[in-house]
Amino acid sequence: MSSYSNNPVIERAQPWLGTLVSIRVSGLEASEAHRAIDDAFNEIALVHRLMSFHDSGSDVSRLNRGLTGRPVAVHPCTIEVLQKAQMFSSCSEGCFDISIGAELVEWQLLPMPSIDEQSADGSWRDIEVLPDGHVVFHRPLWIDLGGIAKGYAVDRAAECLRRWGAVQAVINAGGDIRVQGQLMEPIRLAVESSVDTMPVLELADGSVASSSGHRQRRWHDGRLCGPHVDGTDRSPTATDRFVCVLANDCVVADALTKVVMARGPESANLLQRFGASAHVYDPTDGWLHLEGDVEGW
Amino acid sequence: MRSRLAFLPLAGIVIAGGPAYATVYLSVEQAQTLLFPGATFQPDTRTLTNEQAKAIEHASGVDVRSKQLKAWRVSTGGWLIVDEVVGKHEYIPFAMALDDKGAVKGVEILEYREAYGGQIREPEWRKQFVGKEPGTKLQLDKNIRNVSGATLSCKHVTDGVQRLLATYELVLKQPGH
Repeated sequence: MSSYSNNPVIERAQPWLGTLVSIRVSGLEASEAHRAIDDAFNEIALVHRLMSFHDSGSDVSRLNRGLTGRPVAVHPCTIEVLQKAQMFSSCSEGCFDISIGAELVEWQLLPMPSIDEQSADGSWRDIEVLPDGHVVFHRPLWIDLGGIAKGYAVDRAAECLRRWGAVQAVINAGGDIRVQGQLMEPIRLAVESSVDTMPVLELADGSVASSSGHRQRRWHDGRLCGPHVDGTDRSPTATDRFVCVLANDCVVADALTKVVMARGPESANLLQRFGASAHVYDPTDGWLHLEGDVEGW
Repeated sequence: MRSRLAFLPLAGIVIAGGPAYATVYLSVEQAQTLLFPGATFQPDTRTLTNEQAKAIEHASGVDVRSKQLKAWRVSTGGWLIVDEVVGKHEYIPFAMALDDKGAVKGVEILEYREAYGGQIREPEWRKQFVGKEPGTKLQLDKNIRNVSGATLSCKHVTDGVQRLLATYELVLKQPGH
């Protein structure tokens, strides 16, 4: 490990995916580390361009304004994310659902897209990923990949850094974090669970994603609406809860936070299925640990 | 994967005076080298007139807080501009590279400082430290560089980029280009 100790730690940050993304690399010579970070940011930039709800040229926007029943050609990365999203929807009986764009627009958490056709009542079941790189919506719907794309982007960046041979790397996309390597990385969890202590997660060789609706929630039609929607009944999920999911892949951690946010302890089996686990804080019940097959628990 | 959730006593955390969270990513020179490898840089610092500032605000829809423009002409074509955005609790200097056609070639955050993050900015939370000696000297900025659960918006930075694009069009761009 002498190369590790002799090489500098290089960290950079760029604005992508609506947040600041930072990448820290150790174990590479400085110029090589910068090239590796350039490549990793290119992966994140690609996901940003393809999957932004706001950008009218993205795959997501082209899909949202496409005609119902007509296949739309999209990038292989978009296909991969949609396939993963469908898998999470299927495993969670629709609790995780990317077709919640209409609700988020209605609650003013996303901007109204410039689409003539008003969004309707389609769900994840109306999305079909065709084998030839096309996607078809069988009913009108608006997808938002905000609940999965950051985790996917982090995983792609991590894979890129691994190919470059980084011994230790940390990729942080607005709190969706992947730690590569054996050194424990401390991560502060942004939840005020006590006036005396601060929750800090130490993580090695894995990913974490956290959600708390509370910072973005707003009143709409007499109820508090946060950025998380339970796809099964299209209702806003408990906005007081703080959820932190741990998994090997960041895309799993990112997607499952939405399910744990909605289902709480009932999501333990699903977590286990993905080798994931969760820390949940509820102001009434305190901390709850939902365990899957995770080492070190 | 290995993980552990710990609850650190807040009384040991040094917060008085300094920022709760600070990370320096790149110096201006490092950003120059990364964004324009092998190039040389000629400083072209300017002070915007009131009229220029107003025109930039009109074109970009973003307030011009400082009339000082820190720009460099790049030997290989294009510009490098160093600017900063100030959010509610954070201060973010950044470097933006423009190619010879005025298109964004890259944006690098130089530094990120958050005055007080999350609960730390609440006066009630801070009161408990009054008159207390720091204990374990765990420094937030040094030891804990990551926060999960408080997604930071980059709107200030993207607004800053829009403002600088308008600044380029109205102030830096050579006539006829």
